[in-house]
Amino acid sequence: MRSPRIEWHQLWYPGRRTPFTADEMARAGSNAPGPTMVVAVLSNVLMLGALAMQLAPRGQAWQVALSMSLMAVAGGLAARWLWWQPWRRPLMQVSIGIVVLLLVLAFFIRWQVPNRDDRQGLALVVGGGCAMLPLLMWFLVIWRAQQIEGRLRELAEREQAIEMARRLTAAQLEPHFLFNTLASLQHWVQTKDDRAAPLLSALTGYLRATLPMFKRPLLALADELLAVERYLQVMQARMGSRLTWHIHLDPALHTLQLPPGVLLTLVENAVMHGLEPQLAGGELHIRGTRQAQQALIEVSDNGAGPPAELHEGVGLSNIRQRLQLTCGPTAALELGAAPGGGFRAQLLLPFNSATP
Amino acid sequence: MTRILIADDEEAPREQLLAALRLAWPSAQVVATAVNGVDAWDAFLEHEPEVCFLDIRMPGLSGIDVARRIGQQAQVVFVTAYDDHALSAFDAGAVDYLLKPVETERLAQTVQRLQARLTPSASAGLPDMQTLLRQLTEQSRRAPPLAVLQAAVGREVRMIRTDEVVYFESDSRYTRVVHGNANAGADALIRTPLKELLAQLDEQLFWQVHRSVIVNHRHIAAAVRVDEGHMHLTLRGRPETLPVSRHFQALFKGQ
Repeated sequence: MRSPRIEWHQLWYPGRRTPFTADEMARAGSNAPGPTMVVAVLSNVLMLGALAMQLAPRGQAWQVALSMSLMAVAGGLAARWLWWQPWRRPLMQVSIGIVVLLLVLAFFIRWQVPNRDDRQGLALVVGGGCAMLPLLMWFLVIWRAQQIEGRLRELAEREQAIEMARRLTAAQLEPHFLFNTLASLQHWVQTKDDRAAPLLSALTGYLRATLPMFKRPLLALADELLAVERYLQVMQARMGSRLTWHIHLDPALHTLQLPPGVLLTLVENAVMHGLEPQLAGGELHIRGTRQAQQALIEVSDNGAGPPAELHEGVGLSNIRQRLQLTCGPTAALELGAAPGGGFRAQLLLPFNSATP
Repeated sequence: MTRILIADDEEAPREQLLAALRLAWPSAQVVATAVNGVDAWDAFLEHEPEVCFLDIRMPGLSGIDVARRIGQQAQVVFVTAYDDHALSAFDAGAVDYLLKPVETERLAQTVQRLQARLTPSASAGLPDMQTLLRQLTEQSRRAPPLAVLQAAVGREVRMIRTDEVVYFESDSRYTRVVHGNANAGADALIRTPLKELLAQLDEQLFWQVHRSVIVNHRHIAAAVRVDEGHMHLTLRGRPETLPVSRHFQALFKGQ
């Protein structure tokens, strides 16, 4: 760890060295100053103005009022400008501007007030006000930059957490699924049962499709469906006649991009919680239909249906987060009872049929 | 000869265990195989095996539910594909468990342990399996018990609240539901077999007393011992009596 050292350049060129990018500003700095802050600043300016009027030499009230108003307006404009670019270059430009303003005011005072003694009192008030301006701007820029940096850090941490969850899902190969399948496989291999070869190829296909799947941020529905089919073939081999499934998918949806593993998780849940616990097993339906601006993907089973309190596990909250992140705020996952009994999960995704 | 029950909802592991048992324990006889928890419990009542190999994850009743019903009436060995956290409860050695696919050498150890326990002298010092099972049951979430039954009577479908049922009786492929009080009593037939119904009823309220009878214990007036091995129940405000089979007589031992 590096020991903190004095950054000398901050003394003569203060503020954040590198500008925020447009993207960073959009993500973390898009907020306008809040109304509380505006009111607080305005009331402070009024109070300072009143104070300056008290200190002003007799007979020069209008000159003081004019100078103060000029400084307040210039300061306000500069602050607003810096709000949207809180780094050192604009701050320096503003500071130079203030110096220019000070010089202008100095000439103004000199021209307006011929008496040297009167001039001194006035110069003290106006100069004092002008000296405070860069300090205020400096505070604003430092504070604002820290606000944006903090928010960016927070966003980065959140994204990291989601990424972690995504990786975890990848590692979340249900051990029960794997070992039960291997147990069946071993028996059928030993007894030279004909079911061994198809089961092995379905399992291989499932692993091949799922293991690299999570490395990609998005996957075409057709690719995801391959993994789903392999999974169902494996379960079919194990559950026999207790499992039947049907897939109806609008071909236009094949290219639909969605976060990997979403459909697979819904199907695995339907089999594991909906159909496996049923004495007679049941049916699974996967339907994909297209509406005007939306794709609807539905996974339903005719099992026991949703429990009284639906407890959403890691898998489902993970799906929601990833949907929001990759498909936008209109993407949704709805869970509930299927019309004919059983459980139904509905994925609503934005879908633009013109640009697949 | 030792009588064995095997329960697993998947065909391959069931047959694999069967084959392994033939090698590791040729003298034992597999008297029944069950494809879910409900069948397993029913087969236990029917065949009275001394040893049960139960898969933990099964539809209807889990292997743990079945073991809890069996209690001390047989030796239970759990079989599972994956070493769950739940299995750590068995490290005490109260009950054995096997991983699928079952290896013959490992199974031979289990068989030795079982044979030692099955000799009459050894059964005295058994650890309390009920405590372990209770812990396991608390871990597994269960669906809430059935609140209402739908029985077709002629053209109408009658809604019968389960807490108003006096007893259920198995009637070939149907189940007879006797409900209401003595004045307004009625019975109806439902299609759900008794053994499947059992898994859906509130265990606190409904006691199975016979392979074909489940009774609401609030309606039991007395348990009458007829002779060694025979017992029946009399009901409050009802003339009929219900049989209690040997497996369930421990429910009525007096205090």
